Amino acid sequence: MSLLRVERLSKSFGAVRAVDGVSFEVGAGELYGLLGPNGAGKTTTIAMIAGLLRPDSGEVFIDGRPLGADPQRARRILGVVPQELALYEELSARENLEFWGRLGGLSSRDARRRATELLEALSLADRAREPVKTYSGGMKRRVNLACALLHRPRLLLLDEPTVGIDPQARLGILEFIRHLRHEGTAILYTTHYLEEAEALCQRIGILDHGHLLVEGTLARLRERVGGDRLFVLEGDLRGARPEAWPGFADRFRVIQLTEDHMVTAARDARDPAECLRDLLNLPVRVENVTVKRPSLSDVFLQLTGRELRE
Amino acid sequence: MNLLCLLVAKDLRRALRNPLPWVIHLAIPLAITALLGLIFGSGGSEGRGLGRVRFALVDEDDSALSRFLRGALLQGQVGGYWEPVVLDRTSALARLEANQLSAVLILPPHFTRDYLTGRTPVRLELIKNPAQSLQPAVLEELLGVVVTGLNAVARNLRSEFPAWRQALESGADYRRVADLIVRTGEKLDTLRPYLDPPRVWYTREVRSAGGGWSGVSGTVSGVNLFGYLLVGLSTMFLLFPANTARSDLHRELACGTFERYHTLHDRLWPFLVAKGVFVGAMVLLSAVILFGRGGLVFGVAWQRPWVMALLVVGYAVFAAGFSALFAAFVPDARAADALGNLVVMALGLAGGCAFPPQSLPVWVRDHVTPMLPTAWLAQTLREMEFGSGSPAWDLVLLRLVGLGLALLGLAAWRFRRCFAEGGVS
Repeated sequence: MSLLRVERLSKSFGAVRAVDGVSFEVGAGELYGLLGPNGAGKTTTIAMIAGLLRPDSGEVFIDGRPLGADPQRARRILGVVPQELALYEELSARENLEFWGRLGGLSSRDARRRATELLEALSLADRAREPVKTYSGGMKRRVNLACALLHRPRLLLLDEPTVGIDPQARLGILEFIRHLRHEGTAILYTTHYLEEAEALCQRIGILDHGHLLVEGTLARLRERVGGDRLFVLEGDLRGARPEAWPGFADRFRVIQLTEDHMVTAARDARDPAECLRDLLNLPVRVENVTVKRPSLSDVFLQLTGRELRE
Repeated sequence: MNLLCLLVAKDLRRALRNPLPWVIHLAIPLAITALLGLIFGSGGSEGRGLGRVRFALVDEDDSALSRFLRGALLQGQVGGYWEPVVLDRTSALARLEANQLSAVLILPPHFTRDYLTGRTPVRLELIKNPAQSLQPAVLEELLGVVVTGLNAVARNLRSEFPAWRQALESGADYRRVADLIVRTGEKLDTLRPYLDPPRVWYTREVRSAGGGWSGVSGTVSGVNLFGYLLVGLSTMFLLFPANTARSDLHRELACGTFERYHTLHDRLWPFLVAKGVFVGAMVLLSAVILFGRGGLVFGVAWQRPWVMALLVVGYAVFAAGFSALFAAFVPDARAADALGNLVVMALGLAGGCAFPPQSLPVWVRDHVTPMLPTAWLAQTLREMEFGSGSPAWDLVLLRLVGLGLALLGLAAWRFRRCFAEGGVS
């Protein structure tokens, strides 16, 4: 049974439909990525799952039971890492952790012990007694993450937990999140960083303008675009009309076409060299052709016709 | 209870780590009471406001008239307000130098003769103590009244003066003096509108045990002007720490800690009540400083300190509810910061905190002031401490606590609604 089930969740703010009929599930020990540009509806979705925001329609099930049936029970299962740094900057990391642990229902002794564990695990132990306001952005992000873990939540909601930090700090956090997944925590991870979703998530849902466009494993999403490889043609493509090229539509699918480049995928599993020959014989001036593995960016591009800018 | 303690402890710890905003708000009333104390001096003798104005009378004239004036100053009800001592010029100036007197009033030689002959202008000399401000000023004002009276008498009774001079110079011819008094008395009737009734006076009434009202005669303890002001200003200033706590609630909203709390607890009221307890603690601390120190500075002996403390607790509950509700309805921190101080000032002014409610515009006094908790507290304390009535303080306490709790409940409802609709941060 999935730990989190979201069914046709919708939310509007005035005329803006922020989330529109979103459904997905996250199982125990699974890391599910919700990928989308800023304003796609990721944070709104997380807020509804966390019980902060009331959905207009749809339902959230936590561990098989509707969230509204027993909100306090759901809150004991959930751990929420908000996008903003929800910390008391005057207090030290240890004080923050112990406070949120106590608030999560731990005894004073358990909160202290658990805080020590997390401070060690997140490499914060040596500065644990200093006020959070003296920390770097990466350190604050780690404290922000740790504050949600004191009460050992079975389901963790991470809302862009690596925004605004350097690559090294980001790698540390991603490694820690992998470790949590291995321990059996179900994780819903929202991000607009493609490489994070590719590197971390077992299943990915792509959200845009409040709609869940597609979901699945990375391999399945790649298959939707063009299997293992894509061909990128660079040259003068002004006025190019691929639908008019004889036999092209039977063998290739156009992912993106601009004045100076075209991304296309073969419709069948033909030999790449043969595909290249076909592409070089097209009635346009081609200066360069490259072959690459499809990325989530290509998936997003195919689904929306837009780049997912970081 | 455990949750409440945890939340309050967190706020206290944060306040200790970042004490500046609180220190400023606690220091402002301290500074203001100290400043007022420096300007006006302490409460004076016997802890009763200005106390009696102590001054020296140097009688260099030593005539029958000056002796009469001297005697008049030392008698009757005036003795309750000023304390003249008759000294020679050197001793008087020495005591003035030693700050033992507020002023020295010198009746110059030939004062009586010059006044009665009217040949040369009479000059009274007042030497004020520069180390004091209010008492010498009061004495100067009173001397102005005396001079006006002497001028009025001189203008209206000039024709009688030669006879008076002869009578005073010829010794104690009581028959002649009696005739002069009768004649002068008849003329003084023309001055009655100027002299009687006095231009300024007050009457005082007390409610008897039976509930009726009756006038009081005899000596009454003076109204402590600074105590009266202190109560009003303190009532207003106590809302400023509450406003700082409101600002803290806004910070919790802005940085997401309130929301994070909500991810762990469905009920919002413990968070708000804890914040309220914190606000209450700060308001009480401020009240101790304001009323305690202010009382010392102005020599106010609070008549019913425990009732006063209970009322301040009630006011702290109101302040907590007020600050929570304000944060709930003005979610923008900058707007709330700007608006908060204005609202506090408006509550204070319209509540008659800065000046007596009688001087407010009639419509405000009749329709707005009675609705304001600032007025409830200030007027009850004033009546209790400086009036002669026995106000229903228990009802006021209930109203303050009830209103505070209602405002907290309303704030919790509003925050829940805002969270659910996504309009908090």
